[in-house]
Amino acid sequence: MEGTGVNLDAVTKTFGIVDVIRGVDMEINKGEFAVFVGPSGCGKSTLLRMIAGLEETTSGKIRIGERDVTNEDPAKRGVAMVFQSYALYPHLTVFENMAFSLRLARRPKAEIMQKVHEAAEILKLTEQLEKKPSELSGGQRQRVAIGRAIVRAPDVFLFDEPLSNLDAELRVQMRLELARLHKALGVTMIYVTHDQVEAMTLADKIFVLQGGYVQQWGEPLELYEDPSNRFVAGFIGSPSMNFFNATIAGHTADGISARLDGQPDLGLEVRLSQALEVGAEIVVGIRPEHLALTDGPGLRVTVDVAEELGGMSYQHGTLEGGDAVIFQQSGARHGLRGTVQTVVPEPGNIFAFDREGDRLR
Amino acid sequence: MQNQRRRRELRSAAMLVAPFLFVFTVFFFYPTLKVITLSFTNAPLIGEGEWIGFDNYVKLLSDRLFYTSIWNNFYFVLLTVIPTTVIALLIALAVDHLKGRVQALVLTLFFLPYVLPVSVVTLIWSWMLDFQFGILQPMIEFFIGRPVAVFKDPHWVMPMIAVVTIWWTNGFNVLLFIAGLRNISPDLYEAAALDGATNWQRFRRVTWPLLWPVTALVLTLQMILQLKLFDQVYLLSNGGPFNQSYVVLLQMYREAFQLNHGGYASAIAMVLFLTIVIVSVLQFQLLRMGGRK
Repeated sequence: MEGTGVNLDAVTKTFGIVDVIRGVDMEINKGEFAVFVGPSGCGKSTLLRMIAGLEETTSGKIRIGERDVTNEDPAKRGVAMVFQSYALYPHLTVFENMAFSLRLARRPKAEIMQKVHEAAEILKLTEQLEKKPSELSGGQRQRVAIGRAIVRAPDVFLFDEPLSNLDAELRVQMRLELARLHKALGVTMIYVTHDQVEAMTLADKIFVLQGGYVQQWGEPLELYEDPSNRFVAGFIGSPSMNFFNATIAGHTADGISARLDGQPDLGLEVRLSQALEVGAEIVVGIRPEHLALTDGPGLRVTVDVAEELGGMSYQHGTLEGGDAVIFQQSGARHGLRGTVQTVVPEPGNIFAFDREGDRLR
Repeated sequence: MQNQRRRRELRSAAMLVAPFLFVFTVFFFYPTLKVITLSFTNAPLIGEGEWIGFDNYVKLLSDRLFYTSIWNNFYFVLLTVIPTTVIALLIALAVDHLKGRVQALVLTLFFLPYVLPVSVVTLIWSWMLDFQFGILQPMIEFFIGRPVAVFKDPHWVMPMIAVVTIWWTNGFNVLLFIAGLRNISPDLYEAAALDGATNWQRFRRVTWPLLWPVTALVLTLQMILQLKLFDQVYLLSNGGPFNQSYVVLLQMYREAFQLNHGGYASAIAMVLFLTIVIVSVLQFQLLRMGGRK
């Protein structure tokens, strides 16, 4: 832990009788881009607001750099936050919005001018400085909100779902700009989103939250390739992983052979070091991109919806037993809708979980 | 085909507007016209009079009682408009901090006087301030050293009527301010807190400018309302003592219904009407400019 990273130690948050954050430890190093991701209601925004000081921390410690800021005023934590609603002051111009914190601190005029213009330069807002927020487009407002944060030169930037009010195209563009900004400024950033694509593309480190706990954290590909439970496996990756109930049918050299319930003909080989009894009930997870069409034996899928994306397509269908399946297909352009297809999983890319959702390794 | 549809639309439009037009014409437009024409005649309260041109207005300009009433009106505006706005804002800011049912309860308590009829309000206050038995007299005595018959004292009468009026009408202004405060996004306060704003700076730089349109509205509504002062004066002091609470509408009432000068009373009404229009338009414009700066 060096410089101005963020460190959380057994942090909890209770609203009345509801435990929102049930004990979170995390360590974000200086200059890292950390992303909190999870479904709505998982507590990710609350956690961010606790780091910002907008929510009180029920127990545990929050440290920014070497300082314990658990009970510190928001303004004294050295953080700046970009809100989902942007929270621009509607009665002030772009310039005054960005200068707000410096004016409160009674900085000299020349310094305010210089800092605001520098930030405006970075964000290509120089032309808009005299406008009111209501005269700006969504993307420009977003930039002003970021500019307001930059001007304060904080140790840590906090973003609360900053792109969710933008249209899809702009969101992709702003995502890139944020990534560049992070590289240019080199400061610690913490970013909250429910969109796992944003999380995957931006993060140095992803924290997957659910039910008030960090389910797993790590680099994006680490989470994708080695999820530690069924929730993370389902949440990271798009479209999400297919899950099938299965029973262990036998042992192989480096793992087990599993039979899907309702598919007695097909044995799936899963690499496992854990020793499990034959007959144990497990859950098998296979990503849509790891299912391939085949002429031989496999899973017979009745395709009912095909999402054509041009270069590839996602085929949605059901197994004979009624389980929903999605598989990805690239290249072929002919429609598969309404047909029955046979797919097999790529060996080595099958995950096994116990029925409680924990990963079997 | 299209013509037919258009005619049908016109017919239903006319039917929808007709009741309003009828009521407006009979009860508002015609009386207004009548007052304007009456003000140029020497008509009594009932019956026609002769056209005398601007005589009523000329007479009004040399009527010292009229100047007294106008002065009293503005004195009353001074005593009520800004104080009631400030008080309402303070109450609204305090009530805004409360939550849920407690907030609703407190708001109701502040709003309660507003639903009382003016006769009840004045009765309550004239009892409370009664020279011999009023429960507020000991308090006055504590500060002044002697009881005061407030509605019979030339110095006390207008300020006390102002107090009664503020107590009576304040709840409505509180409501307007509460609505205005709820329109300000909590995100802005959080952003300001992160930017390092103190409570006072948050009020000064976020709440106050964003609440300004509501403040301007409250000030203008109050100005119009308080210039129309009549009921409280009529019921509490009847213009006395020594005409210290004599206001324009009271003068109009006396001229019309006690002295039977319909024409002259109409002229007074017209002058008050024009005063209100000019003052409120002027005020609203000024306030809007103040807000834009």
